[in-house]
Amino acid sequence: MRWALAAALFLALALAQTPTGAPPPDLSPEVFRIASQLRCPVCQGESAAESNAGVSQEMRRQIAEMLREGKSEAAIREYFVKRYGEWILYAPPKKGINWLLWLAPAIGLGAIGFGLWRYLAEARRREAELALSEEELKALERRLEEE
Amino acid sequence: MRRIFYLAIVAVLGGLFWWGLQRNPGELKSVLIGKPAPDFELPLLAPYRQEWGDRFRLADHLGKTPIVLNFWASWCYPACYEEAPVLQAAWERYRGRVLFFGINNQDKTSEALKFIDRFGLTFPQGYDPRGRVGIDYGMYGVPETFFIDRAGKVRYRHAGAIDAATLEAKIGEVLR
Repeated sequence: MRWALAAALFLALALAQTPTGAPPPDLSPEVFRIASQLRCPVCQGESAAESNAGVSQEMRRQIAEMLREGKSEAAIREYFVKRYGEWILYAPPKKGINWLLWLAPAIGLGAIGFGLWRYLAEARRREAELALSEEELKALERRLEEE
Repeated sequence: MRRIFYLAIVAVLGGLFWWGLQRNPGELKSVLIGKPAPDFELPLLAPYRQEWGDRFRLADHLGKTPIVLNFWASWCYPACYEEAPVLQAAWERYRGRVLFFGINNQDKTSEALKFIDRFGLTFPQGYDPRGRVGIDYGMYGVPETFFIDRAGKVRYRHAGAIDAATLEAKIGEVLR
């Protein structure tokens, strides 16, 4: 009985937790979607959507205001880029030297693939070198039987 | 040949690593450098209204003297507490030649007034509870100090508490 009570209490407490990251009711999910693409300027690795720093709250408020004014998502992003630079964006724009960043995973995978291919080719070559021909095999078997 | 190839790869990666370590992640260049200072209008905190009026509009003061804009908050401890006396001393020395303007950022008025009282700040102080001007200036966090030259262009941004030597040097640059 006591165990059942404890389990029920535990379950109730677990269910009482509000899901984290749920937007407060006063701002639309759209605001949080845009804010999640922007850095919180005073945080380390947190977006303006997750952070509760004063500046992030103000950024969300400004995003909400700009949406109400009918500004596009791109225009809102541009607004913050003009003030903070591209640093504020989580996804750097695909241009210039940034391409190196975007292509880095492909370049890395390519390099690994190339290395693997070279290694396997080398291994195959060595195997072929060491492999015995039919006659050699027969000769060895004969010697084994003789002994 | 192969050994040279591997050595080159190690050297390049090592060089990148070393370069990354030399960079200070806190040192972020303002995109405003060389551009006109964004205009703003803020209500002044009570102690300054008699001398400067109810509201402060940056555009009214641009083009006359260089301007030192300082963002601060009473909750910014210890950095803002360290630099407040430094700023006040420089203001007393440069008054008339350089305008200092403090922007109280995302703070409570009562706390801001206590801070002002504690350091006897006599340069005008605006009140920005939402921190809108801070975002307009691409501010990362208080304290930050912007130096605006006579032409109204942003010349330098200092992040963190400013020391007397830096303040002196940068004022010298905008005065030139």
